Amino acid sequence: MTAYDTNTLRGLVQPDRVHRDFYIDPEVFDIEMERIFGRIWLFVGHTSQVPNNGDYLTTTVARQPVIMSRDRNGDVHVMFNRCTHRGSQVCLEQFGNTKRFECPYHAWVFNTDGSFAGAPYPKGYEEGFLEKEKLDLVKLPRMEIYRGFVFVSLSTDVPDIDEFLGPMKDHIDAFCDRSPVGEVEACAGVFRYRYDGNWKLQMENQTDVYHIMFTHVSTTDEDGKQFRREGAEEDEAGKVKVLAKNSRLDDQWEEHPLGGHRHGHVYMGRFAMDKKNSGPVYDRYKASMEEAYGDRAEENMTVRTHNSIFYPHWSIQHLTQHIRVMNPISVDRTENIIIPLKLKGAPEEMWHAALRSNNNSHSPSGMVMSDDMEVWVRCHEGLKTQSTDWVVLARGMNEKFTGDNTGTYESHGTSESGARNQQLAWVDYMCGES
Amino acid sequence: MLADVEKYLYREVRLLDERRFEEWTDLFTKDGYYWVPAYPNQTDPFKNVSIFFDDREVMRTRLSRLDHPNIHAQKPHSRTVHIVSNIEIDEKHDVEGEILVHSTLQMMEFRLDKQTHYGGRAQHLLVKSGDGFKLKWKRVDLINCDGAFEPLAIPF
Repeated sequence: MTAYDTNTLRGLVQPDRVHRDFYIDPEVFDIEMERIFGRIWLFVGHTSQVPNNGDYLTTTVARQPVIMSRDRNGDVHVMFNRCTHRGSQVCLEQFGNTKRFECPYHAWVFNTDGSFAGAPYPKGYEEGFLEKEKLDLVKLPRMEIYRGFVFVSLSTDVPDIDEFLGPMKDHIDAFCDRSPVGEVEACAGVFRYRYDGNWKLQMENQTDVYHIMFTHVSTTDEDGKQFRREGAEEDEAGKVKVLAKNSRLDDQWEEHPLGGHRHGHVYMGRFAMDKKNSGPVYDRYKASMEEAYGDRAEENMTVRTHNSIFYPHWSIQHLTQHIRVMNPISVDRTENIIIPLKLKGAPEEMWHAALRSNNNSHSPSGMVMSDDMEVWVRCHEGLKTQSTDWVVLARGMNEKFTGDNTGTYESHGTSESGARNQQLAWVDYMCGES
Repeated sequence: MLADVEKYLYREVRLLDERRFEEWTDLFTKDGYYWVPAYPNQTDPFKNVSIFFDDREVMRTRLSRLDHPNIHAQKPHSRTVHIVSNIEIDEKHDVEGEILVHSTLQMMEFRLDKQTHYGGRAQHLLVKSGDGFKLKWKRVDLINCDGAFEPLAIPF
């Protein structure tokens, strides 16, 4: 018997605040898994993570173990990691290359496209049984691939992927089009880490400009600049300006562009850099982009957004150059997968710089990520107290919105509009209106 | 020779446990680096992601941050103890003035009522410098390098 009906769920989210149960109640989490993660497009990986025929990786989709593979014809599949005989996971390696998946229990085998390839001692079954029974590894109900980004859903009843992504599709394009050949490659492996906090704390944090200069103050040098995030030359270009001389919260951040769209997607504009990229490596990149895109080169090279946060659980970090996946494990435990992306065809030096930037900021020892995780864990613990039921997200409620916060809108600065937009989508999904 | 190497390695990790990070950084040569790969059997830090791949500049940024009054991930600080053992000099490494050392390394970390135990194999490339050594690189291959981590702050 659930304590939650549509009205109580709706009551957890007020215009400028949310109830702490939104983050900490295990029952709310169970409903989220069914109504949000069970009925929406989720991100699994990038096709370049399985570049060759027979390549595979294992991961989870909404807590369910899956395999993403490339079959002998080069087609990519996503299927549940569960033998159709007695239920064992058929593969536990994080990645690899294989001709077949073989179950450890009774050696049932499956091809890399998931099709059933046989069971030992078939005479033990009634004649024709193995042929008649559907014994292929079960595919996720829906799968779509857009520019190598692999999406799946746990239900066939999901909106069209184009409708779901809406204008956020442009954000995927913008990332890929920074490559002179229009492709990104996830070819450097992944980072994985876990924290004791609710997944939404992180989703909201990614659109939160207000915390940057406080949570991450220890990453700045005496001039208030952070370490290099972008660019391959050994100069000041690519260092993020976090603090101004006399103030932590200066006009630079208050003018910072934010925005979002319906279905809970949000984004943060590009961070202010100390200096424009320039130098011999950049010149080579520019030349290759001009050759590829002509007049559009300058536009394609310009990074306009810091991040693009796709509801409910993943983002593109344009500046640091990675895909970030937030996989909920339980109401108070979340796994992150960080997938660095190479701009195919761009100078190798730029890729090396991007890789190092990912190591420095978003590895398990990452100087940015570790402070963020500390905060989410502290939030989750703090929200367990009975001190007050409400989490206040009123910042920017007085601003003039372009848009109405249910469709496309633009906002700016340290407004908490991004979290509110995600929460509006949460209500729609949880109460069955999306 | 082995005794000198052992003494050097013991001091190297003691500097970390005693939070003498500047002195630890100064152990490295100018072009020195500290590397903790995120996958087993790595040969090139530019092929895959790394848990740490710090040159002197990044080391300085990272370790000066550990003394920043507002490093939230380390308030309170981690306490660590490093244990180096099974120290062997690589007989096959035949480069004038260099000593390649293999060892096993463990680090126990305590923070906020939680104790975590890390372990792996370490390699140190020492170069003779005056009466002692400088560290050209230190590499640590954790047994859980490709596992899921919680935040790390202190080098292994």
